[in-house]
Amino acid sequence: MACLQPVLQRARAAAVLACLATLVACGGGGTGGGSAGDGTGTSQYLDPNSYSAAAGASLSSPNETTAVTHHSLTLAGRAIAYTATAGHLSALDSTQAPEASIFYVAYTADGAAAAMRPVTFFFNGGPGSATVYLHLGSFAPKRLVTGVPATTQSVPFPYVDNADSLIDTSDLVFVDAVGTGLSEAIAPHTNQTYWGVDADAAVLRDFVQRWLVVNGRIASPLFLYGESYGTTRVPVLTRLLETAGQRVNGVVELSSILDYNSNCSVSNAKPTINCAGFLPSYAAVGDWWQLATAATGDLDVEIATARSYADTTYAPDASAWLASGTLPPSSHVATLVAMTGLATAAWDQQFDMDNDTFRHDLIPGTTLGIYDGRMSAPVGSALDADDDPSNTFIDPGFEAAIKTVLPALGYTNPSTYVLLSDAIDSWNFSHGGRSLPDVVPDLSAAMLLDPSLKVLFLGGQHDLITPLHQTELDTARLASGAPIALHFHPGGHMTYLDDGSRPLMKAELAAFYASATGAP
Amino acid sequence: MRVAFAVSIWLAAAAAQAAPHLDPGRPPSAVQQAAQAENRVRPASVGATLDSEAEAHLRASFDAADVARRGTLSRAEAQAGGFGWIANHFEAIDVQHAGRVSFDDVRRYLKLRSAPTVPLGGR
Repeated sequence: MACLQPVLQRARAAAVLACLATLVACGGGGTGGGSAGDGTGTSQYLDPNSYSAAAGASLSSPNETTAVTHHSLTLAGRAIAYTATAGHLSALDSTQAPEASIFYVAYTADGAAAAMRPVTFFFNGGPGSATVYLHLGSFAPKRLVTGVPATTQSVPFPYVDNADSLIDTSDLVFVDAVGTGLSEAIAPHTNQTYWGVDADAAVLRDFVQRWLVVNGRIASPLFLYGESYGTTRVPVLTRLLETAGQRVNGVVELSSILDYNSNCSVSNAKPTINCAGFLPSYAAVGDWWQLATAATGDLDVEIATARSYADTTYAPDASAWLASGTLPPSSHVATLVAMTGLATAAWDQQFDMDNDTFRHDLIPGTTLGIYDGRMSAPVGSALDADDDPSNTFIDPGFEAAIKTVLPALGYTNPSTYVLLSDAIDSWNFSHGGRSLPDVVPDLSAAMLLDPSLKVLFLGGQHDLITPLHQTELDTARLASGAPIALHFHPGGHMTYLDDGSRPLMKAELAAFYASATGAP
Repeated sequence: MRVAFAVSIWLAAAAAQAAPHLDPGRPPSAVQQAAQAENRVRPASVGATLDSEAEAHLRASFDAADVARRGTLSRAEAQAGGFGWIANHFEAIDVQHAGRVSFDDVRRYLKLRSAPTVPLGGR
């Protein structure tokens, strides 16, 4: 707290100087007064506040005390000393009035030069999801072992040193959006105030800017990493930061939904949108279950074949079926059956094939995971309880782990850490004059403001909710030569849970960071 | 009949409760329907239409900063109004050295500056 009040009162430049002088202590001046710069001070924090993720909830007395602990991770034979900081920081509006108390956990390498050291802010999606999956499952210094696509790992999931951590490349800040995790709006605002595409991105812009100032990091290369709805959130946030004059070096979009108007699964009823973007993912899942008779044994080849067929034949066929109910020649259906393993009757019934029909009908009596089509459960079994074995398997392990991880980082609070709130029920999805958001124009605007901005799209080949080819189709709208790269690997929506794909993603991330910071 | 109806309502409610929210989740039905109607007349933007939608976001930020509704911003107004990017590039945008820039000045600068970029590679 010692450093907080001066920061609020002083001009921005003065605050930066003050924080540079006491680099880590400023961001995490806990009750123990950790002099963290030397990597020795540790402070525990028992946060007395009660946090709520309800729409009407409002925090009256936010605090910014943090818990600070010190750790070391050995990566490729090199020991990296790092500091973990857990707690809240208030997002402030342009008049410095508080908007929301944002919970975050930051992992920062000790002794790094702030101007050279990248910092990455991570956001899961929902909307309404806490950033618990990226925090505990992806590239932090420790990660949960899930063993997916197997569903045999019991809770608690082991929490181990992460050989694929990005801490060797960037400092990592995992951020809970308002009304998720332990983040809450500050009175007179309520959580509902920030439950919309634009309001959410604006308050997170204010948080990111404040975190950078308070921690003396405005000169650090800045990266934003979104997953799922986070890939809708981050392009808007990127545009807002660039507009505000804060340069963003790179954006990572994992399992993307850039345009809610193009993803055929975003519908309660049967789709009215062309599902051709899903076809390569159906082929990948059919291959996994050894039902795709056209399979060659090379998944990348099968995906490429399905991609090409989707563009040339299936997309126009599905459009015709949507318009008039007309099925294509039976040879086309036969091609789809061989490509995916899904039976003729299913295509005849629902030619514009939605993901729910596919994952229930591919194997009769079996439900496949929407997040990972390689995961399955017999209909009516315990793992099928939520109609999604991937979610049913993964969630309890993460929910249990966050309850022990935060206390282990010195942060204790009696409130429930909310993994998924009801935000989506009252979320204001309107954006850019549309009822559902399309953030390709936001990316385009950000690239216009900053021609050196680079974007890396990652995803899982077996993800049945944000399919790889839809990301290809949406990003193809950007101007040719736009500074983007796309990589897809075996795995589901949370592709990093796959032990084979996580190291590949780490290598791609390292190369991406080097290219986006101009490092050799 | 009435009992069956009540049971079916209960089953539907139970099913709705059991199904967890997804990520990305499905927006409320009314929003989906409004979007469907819009999409029939407004397909996904590409090329010049995408450019104009990108520009519309920037114009909205410009207008938000232009609280006096003068149609131009000084460097200080841009900074105070949240358009720090304009303040950072003010000299280059204000080619007339007028001390104030219009949105057309911003557009002109963006067009002038947009040079071909080198793709990263990969698919």
